[in-house]
Amino acid sequence: MPALTLKGIFKRFGKVQVLKGIDLEVNHGEFCVLLGPSGCGKSTLLNITAGLFKQEAGTVLIDGQPVDHLSPRERDIAMVFQSYALYPHMTVAGNLSFGLRMRKVPKQTIIEQISETAQLLGIEDLLDRKPSELSGGQRQRVAMGRALVRRPKLFLLDEPLSNLDARLRANVRLELKRLHQQIRGTIIYVTHDQIEAMTLGDRVVVMKEGEIRQVDLPKVIYSEPQDTFVAKFIGSPEMNLYQGEIIHKENQVSFKGNGFMLELKGVGKEIEQGEAELGLRPEDIEIGADPARLPVKVEITSHVGSENFIHGRIGNETITIRVSKDEYPKPGSEVFLKINPNRIHLFRGGLRHPLVKL
Amino acid sequence: MTRERIENGIILGLRITGMIFFFIVVAFPFYWMIVSSFKPLEEMLLNPGNLGLSINKINFKAYYEVLFEHDFSRYIFNSLYVSIATVLLSVSLATIGGYAVTRLHFRGQKVMSLSILLIYMFPAIVLVIPLYVLFSKMGLRDSFHVLILVYLAQTLPVALYMLRSYFQTLPVELEHAGMIDGCSRLGVILRIVVPLSAPALATVALYTFMIAWNEFLFAFMFLDSPEKFTLSRGVVQLADSVHLSKQLVMAASVMVSIPIIILFFVFERHLVRGLTAGALKG
Repeated sequence: MPALTLKGIFKRFGKVQVLKGIDLEVNHGEFCVLLGPSGCGKSTLLNITAGLFKQEAGTVLIDGQPVDHLSPRERDIAMVFQSYALYPHMTVAGNLSFGLRMRKVPKQTIIEQISETAQLLGIEDLLDRKPSELSGGQRQRVAMGRALVRRPKLFLLDEPLSNLDARLRANVRLELKRLHQQIRGTIIYVTHDQIEAMTLGDRVVVMKEGEIRQVDLPKVIYSEPQDTFVAKFIGSPEMNLYQGEIIHKENQVSFKGNGFMLELKGVGKEIEQGEAELGLRPEDIEIGADPARLPVKVEITSHVGSENFIHGRIGNETITIRVSKDEYPKPGSEVFLKINPNRIHLFRGGLRHPLVKL
Repeated sequence: MTRERIENGIILGLRITGMIFFFIVVAFPFYWMIVSSFKPLEEMLLNPGNLGLSINKINFKAYYEVLFEHDFSRYIFNSLYVSIATVLLSVSLATIGGYAVTRLHFRGQKVMSLSILLIYMFPAIVLVIPLYVLFSKMGLRDSFHVLILVYLAQTLPVALYMLRSYFQTLPVELEHAGMIDGCSRLGVILRIVVPLSAPALATVALYTFMIAWNEFLFAFMFLDSPEKFTLSRGVVQLADSVHLSKQLVMAASVMVSIPIIILFFVFERHLVRGLTAGALKG
């Protein structure tokens, strides 16, 4: 039985249809990430799961039981907010114990659970402080602690790292992953940051405009995006995507783009001719000096330290290519493309088109 | 002389003029009131122009007489009762109402929120006569409860308005967190909203207390039996009485004004914080 089931969830705010029929199952102990650009409805979905918003249609089930009629406090969930929402008038200990006190847990148990949680998060020294006396990272921990201390059925995390600076965020991300492996709780995690989604998620749910576009392992989301939106959204720098058409010429299948023609070696003739979109990830392209291949005019080369990126033109289109840190073609020069045929993505009508390999 | 020095000179001049004006208009009558209240009657009659007060001539006879012979001890109690009841009711109703128009969504919420201050379109003097007739016919006139009801109607709009503005600055996530942590809506109000709004609540309480304590018009119209008089009503009673002895009226006036002044200075710091806290989210 899944820990959380969402069935046909619809929600509108005024005239805006925010959620257009969401179906999702999250298993016990799973770290499920809801990923999407701002305004895609992911936070709304989380709030509906928590019972803070009411959906127009659809059902939320926790452990197989419908909870639509239950208030947030009866759903046995915990939530970590983007702003942390720590109670400013209570100490850290007060914040941690609030939920337990509301549930009339015996005092001795509260003390034990607080010290256990504080230890887990390394905030034992902060228990007497007020939230205003804490740093951003410490507040984040306390917010996590407030969720953890109750051991609820479901953890709902709404962009919990977005208020931290970049370095801290990377550390806390790792800690969060470690924490999840330790407690094995079911986590629904909302973010717009694909790196968080890819590194944290057991499964990633990509959303756009109130719909789920793809639910998969992070690896699969990356290697087999189901549509052009997911393809563009995941990966940095983003995938090169070209409008064009598939052409059969003699024994060769080619892609004719705007001002260039690319031979698709290794693609069988089973693929029909006609309009299509071709996707190439920057790291799936190699460059060489073989002038028989497609030329790229280099415009900018940028260093990232561990690697370099070439920004250039093929035909009338732009292209981004990742190369090793030692390769540094000069702007204005020409390089020649070498493409790994197993790594090309083809889309038709916006959806992934299977490639039959020879 | 530079331009800046001329400007500064003008500003200083204006400031001094302002201070003198304030002193004459406000501080001097106040001073006169206090000084007169401590003088024996003969002194006032013999030397009416004497502004000073010699220490060895200070006497509290006027206060004693006002308190115990003219029943002001009872009036103080009455005023306290009416004012505190008004404060308690006004603050609790404004908390619930202000919260409702801020956070709950119901039909007419916007209209209600906007029309809170509408009652101020009607001056008290317009209302007092119809209310007088109404309460007389209902036989409710000569009672504290009617007075409290009227004061409530007078203070509640501003109280609601102030609290609503303050509640709007509280992050809604805090309330969501409270609900998830196990609070009911009322629990959220009592355990999260109220403690966080303490400065605003203190401001509203002080404001309500001042209005109720100082109010004269309705007390004058509605209260008939002397044992139910509030302080301000009592002072007028005293001033109207046949044997007009000034220092008694002065002593009574001091008793009306001092508590408010003390309260104001005690709460002043919180008051300012409450008024600005809305602009700067804490």
